[in-house]
Amino acid sequence: MKYAIEAEGLNINYGKLSILWDLSFQIPKGMLVGLIGPNGAGKSTLLKAIVQLIKPFSGRICYSGHIAYVPQKETVDWDFPITVEEVVLMGRYSRLGLFGRPRRADRDAAKAALEEVGLLACAGRQISELSGGQQQRLFIARALVQNADLILLDEPFSGVDLASEKVIMGLLKKQKETGKTIVIVHHDLPSVEEYFDWVLLLNHRLLGCGPTKEVFTRDHLMKAFGKTQTLFHEALDLTAKNMSGLL
Amino acid sequence: MIDFFTDPVLRAPTWGCMLLCFASSLVGVMIFLKKRSLLAETLSHAAYPGACLGVVLFSFLFPQGEHGAYWAVLGGAFISSLFALLLVHWLESTRVSSDAALCFVLALFFGVGIVVASGMQSSIPVWYQEVRMLLFGQAATMSDLHIWIYGGLALFLLSFLFLHFCPLQALLFDRDFSKSARIRVEWVEKAVFWFLVLSLVLGIRSVGVVLMSGMLVAPAVCARAFSDRLQTVFIIAGSVGAASGFLGNVFSFYAHIPTGPTIVLVGTAFALGGLLFAPRRGVCFRLFRVFQFRLRCMEENVLKAVWKKGTVSERPTIALRLALWQLKRGGWMDRDLQLTDDGRKKAALIIRLHRLWELYLTEELGFHAEKVHHTAEEMEHILTPDMEEKLTRLLENPKLDPHLQPIPEKEL
Repeated sequence: MKYAIEAEGLNINYGKLSILWDLSFQIPKGMLVGLIGPNGAGKSTLLKAIVQLIKPFSGRICYSGHIAYVPQKETVDWDFPITVEEVVLMGRYSRLGLFGRPRRADRDAAKAALEEVGLLACAGRQISELSGGQQQRLFIARALVQNADLILLDEPFSGVDLASEKVIMGLLKKQKETGKTIVIVHHDLPSVEEYFDWVLLLNHRLLGCGPTKEVFTRDHLMKAFGKTQTLFHEALDLTAKNMSGLL
Repeated sequence: MIDFFTDPVLRAPTWGCMLLCFASSLVGVMIFLKKRSLLAETLSHAAYPGACLGVVLFSFLFPQGEHGAYWAVLGGAFISSLFALLLVHWLESTRVSSDAALCFVLALFFGVGIVVASGMQSSIPVWYQEVRMLLFGQAATMSDLHIWIYGGLALFLLSFLFLHFCPLQALLFDRDFSKSARIRVEWVEKAVFWFLVLSLVLGIRSVGVVLMSGMLVAPAVCARAFSDRLQTVFIIAGSVGAASGFLGNVFSFYAHIPTGPTIVLVGTAFALGGLLFAPRRGVCFRLFRVFQFRLRCMEENVLKAVWKKGTVSERPTIALRLALWQLKRGGWMDRDLQLTDDGRKKAALIIRLHRLWELYLTEELGFHAEKVHHTAEEMEHILTPDMEEKLTRLLENPKLDPHLQPIPEKEL
């Protein structure tokens, strides 16, 4: 496959409400991609559709190579009885087979990933002892040991201070240099031009997909965040209510 | 005591309850960590109407039969629990919130069960006894057959845990990630629900539908308080479960009280004990550590006061006396309540931290100089040597605080 991710006529519904509306786009390999859009625009849904956690209503979406997914860190219980090292080892569990236990090579890979994100000293700690930024780096370490060609991150900078954000961004840029494609759900507009080579602008519909300079323009942003959108969403919402008999 | 394991009458309830409680506490850990404890409560109540209907059906088919009734109870309970599980899943997938769905299904199924049971009381009273005991269980009438059933369940669960520990751990911690990473969790997830329904249905015979969920969750609560590792949590929960099964039997035998509720009470006592006395997470030790911290604050305040004024001028309360005693014992003060050399250094350090913090708040964070004293009173006891060094570097080794008081030099 030529592209890292390719979507064609993708539609996704939650019940009667349509979340993503006829998306067609291609993302080339080796890019650092920002997935930008207002709250509730379907950014996380798109990521979940790419990793096949959600089935599309119609259309198709596919990727090339191996994939690693970094969920929002709020989705897990940080009080869970598990150590930092065990979380990273999880990235290798798909290779274990049904009855397997992690082997020496897996442990070495986990240690290397922890070293890479600067958490090796915390390997034996329970995960709730980590700070917000460290928790995010832990998730990234878990994605690194998966040795994927494509890494998808859902809001990696939420609840993370600016210093940690820079550290994490540095880590991801380094991964990009090795030829990987990185997709980041992001909603802090001022930093977009600095961070990303490629931008996918989303508000239920696709409003732009291309190099940052071409897509991240005033014109496109007005479309994504401006008032002209509200009428469209009102209509969608009304459709859903009519269809489910709530109106 | 050994009689409980060998005596022909006592051994079946003892072994049966121990094995069952062992198995159900392992399932309980999974449910507890998935935050679905209430689901266990709902499903165990939902087993009741099925068990009743199973007995009704059995009484029509085999009016003379006696021994097969147990299987009819199991089959009926299993089917109605499964229906309840499906109904909960369906309701949760619509707009109904999870707790409302659980309440609704619990009330619906248990209500139907009670109606059926009271109908049986008047129409087939012989069989009514059979379903009445399912409410609170009746361990005393267990036979050796139950040992084999519960032993089988325990063995099955143990081998499941041993063989599939990794995918199970991944599933319990982060389901979305596990699926995205192609870890084979789908059927492990199904297995967890099957084990839940199976252990609930098998367990109502000894503990009863009303109390069964307590038996699942209590050992898990206790184990979680003691350990931060999943393996250890499973081991502790299993041991606590088996111990409650055994002790519940012993207590109920000597005190002539029903076995099921006694087992649940023992399990709950373990859970309470864990929450109170676990070394790191237990309430008692945490209170003790808070007390230690407060005492240290007081000691440091005394040192500070003596450093500034030369004497202790306050009227000595009990806490102050304790603090003074500690200070003398630690070599910070001498018999006449004067600072020793170490004491003087320590007091200077505390004042240094206080004033550094005040300066940091005004210089770096833009606080007003009048408003910084209060938080500095607290922070002086908390700042670590590492943070002190960072502050010193950030503020370029300052000499004066915002109130133009000298900041004591760092002494080695």
